[in-house]
Amino acid sequence: MNAPIGGSGPGALPGLLRRRLTRRGFLRAAGRAAGIGAVGVSLPSLLASCQPEEGGGEVDVKELFSGPPEGHVEFANWPVYIDKKKDPETGERYVPSLRKFEEETGITVTYKEVIQDNASFFGKLQPQLQAGQPTGWDIIVITNGWEFQALVKNGWVYPLDTTKRPNFDAHATDWAKDPPFDPGAKHSMVWQSGLTGIAVNRDLVDAPITKLDDLADPNKLPPGSVGMIEEDMPDFVMWNLGIDPQTSTPEDWKVAAEWLLKQRETGLVRAYYAQGYVDDLTNGNLAVSMAWSGDILYYHTWGGYQNLEFVVPEGGCLIWTDNMMIPVGAEHPVSALTLMDFYYRPEIATMLQEWVLYMSPVKETQELIRKDAERAEERGWKGYARKLYETAESEYLFPTQELLARCRFGRTLRTDEEKEEWDRIFVPITEQA
Amino acid sequence: MATTVVSRKASRPHGIEARRRRVAYALLTPGGAWMFVFLVLPVAVMAYMSLKSGGVLSGGFRFTWAFENYVDALAGRQTFFLRSVIYAGSTTLGTVVLSYPAAYWIAFHGGRFKSALLFTILLPYFVSFVIRTVQWKFILADHGLVLGTLKDLGLLPEDFRVLSTWVAVVGGLIYNYLPFAALPLYVAIERIDRAVVECAYDLYATPVQAFTKVIFPLSMPGVFAATLLTFVPATGDYVEAEVLGGPTTRMIGNIIQTEYLRQARYPVAAALSMVLMFGMVVLTSLYAKLIGTEDETVAAAVGA
Repeated sequence: MNAPIGGSGPGALPGLLRRRLTRRGFLRAAGRAAGIGAVGVSLPSLLASCQPEEGGGEVDVKELFSGPPEGHVEFANWPVYIDKKKDPETGERYVPSLRKFEEETGITVTYKEVIQDNASFFGKLQPQLQAGQPTGWDIIVITNGWEFQALVKNGWVYPLDTTKRPNFDAHATDWAKDPPFDPGAKHSMVWQSGLTGIAVNRDLVDAPITKLDDLADPNKLPPGSVGMIEEDMPDFVMWNLGIDPQTSTPEDWKVAAEWLLKQRETGLVRAYYAQGYVDDLTNGNLAVSMAWSGDILYYHTWGGYQNLEFVVPEGGCLIWTDNMMIPVGAEHPVSALTLMDFYYRPEIATMLQEWVLYMSPVKETQELIRKDAERAEERGWKGYARKLYETAESEYLFPTQELLARCRFGRTLRTDEEKEEWDRIFVPITEQA
Repeated sequence: MATTVVSRKASRPHGIEARRRRVAYALLTPGGAWMFVFLVLPVAVMAYMSLKSGGVLSGGFRFTWAFENYVDALAGRQTFFLRSVIYAGSTTLGTVVLSYPAAYWIAFHGGRFKSALLFTILLPYFVSFVIRTVQWKFILADHGLVLGTLKDLGLLPEDFRVLSTWVAVVGGLIYNYLPFAALPLYVAIERIDRAVVECAYDLYATPVQAFTKVIFPLSMPGVFAATLLTFVPATGDYVEAEVLGGPTTRMIGNIIQTEYLRQARYPVAAALSMVLMFGMVVLTSLYAKLIGTEDETVAAAVGA
């Protein structure tokens, strides 16, 4: 059982603590593309248009994944995005799920939390990928934004051997099996998924915050008290203004930009965050902020921040997924695929989800978390059991059809021209003098 | 006989000169190699990058002599250049004004504790500067340790804040660049011949006069070095503006960072960096012409 990590942070050094606190704060939610189409709601048809064009060199998939596991995996992921535990004897922090993988398969894993955000990680790999050199990574985790599109389109990630992932076939949810941004999950497998909504610091706000316009209402909020997530805000604003970002046109983008400029002029915006908005929420600088579901759930559940509340605004949420991919030139593709598939085993997915509190691409986790809660209760761990029950019942981890119907994926930028146009419209908001 | 002497004279100096030249070049090699690897090469790579075109969604960037990147990079960016120069200028002024008395006191009155006192100036800088900067967010939080208390006491209006304003950014810059001013100032002041100061007093100079006419002018090499060492890096800095600033305090470093790490427009970011670099070279050369002398430039290098 993975222990709650609420109190066992890396110690009292605030600097370090903050790093941990920013957690999925780092995990930005591009949410620019595609997503959880097949969950049954009206999404699939809308998402049909966002499939990337395949490109790159011809890789013989069968050949590539035919050998025996190479015995090692280099895994790049985001900070605090995996289950962790302190060894009671050695006091050393380790990853239970990875340890289990190593014990079972004999494959060693070097796990590094090196991805602070998609664009800058992409920027680091891009020169090597373009030059056809190996990046040193076997698995990278990339959100469904333009970075994802670029990797697939340029042939910078290996297509996966879809016949060699039994757990995925047996346990993946429908949306993970056929994400619109990667049909048939041929190039990627979902790690976790989440929502972009609004976080409210109840200590600082009495007024009800229920809709997007509240974030630009000086009567409800003091100046400099609103946080905006730079990368997500165009799509988030569009969707809350009633425009479906997926099918949006530059004209729609301008409408969202106008709203954002108006909001900026109110003086309410404290900062446009790439990451780190959680810090300002927890230390009371922000009254409300755009936020990622897992961050707020985590602080609320494990961090002792009962004053933080995640709100789905009237206009709805953005949804996004983070996806495991194998960059071209990876030395250990077979082991990498084995590891990716390992995380689709229900008990492993449960270990992960109980810790990171994002949406799991595995069907059975809700049931398993409930069972863990019951077990904890039997053992008399009351607080822990309550938290697990809370987790199992969380609407943001196991969204209802009704909630999903109110969520959309961000715009998929497919060409340089589109991206340029997008930047031309939205960059001036943060670049106002 | 005469002919042999002449021939010898003609041949020998020639050989020595050639060898001397070779030795000189050999001595230049380590420094030259250093400059090549750490200055010429990176700048060349940056210049090369700044002339590429293409896009991340179409296979990457190719070299095409794309000078339009410079036009693209500079469009609408004057405000940010100007703001960076103003912030960096304020930072320079702030660090020099703050560290001068400390350096002066340590140099003149530090006695045998000089090294220990200098060490205390440096001590905070043993902690990573990102962590130190981020700590200011805690200290200056709107409802935190300092402001929260003052607000509770009714000494500050409820919506007063320091973070996310230019005060926080310039304050953070001053804080982080303080030792880069304090150390060269100390070196310069320490080198002032006490006898000269005594002379000033003997000639009935008041303490103020002794300072303005003797001590300060003699410490100019330190001031010059301090200025360069704070102004140049502070202009391109983006961490303080990112961590402590808000939407209205973005500096040119933040723009370059956004271009590079968020928008993936690598050539445009490189072009902006080139412009910033050459702008700084021009500014500092002008400054050196106006204020510095060769002596002071050397002193600056020594102080650094």
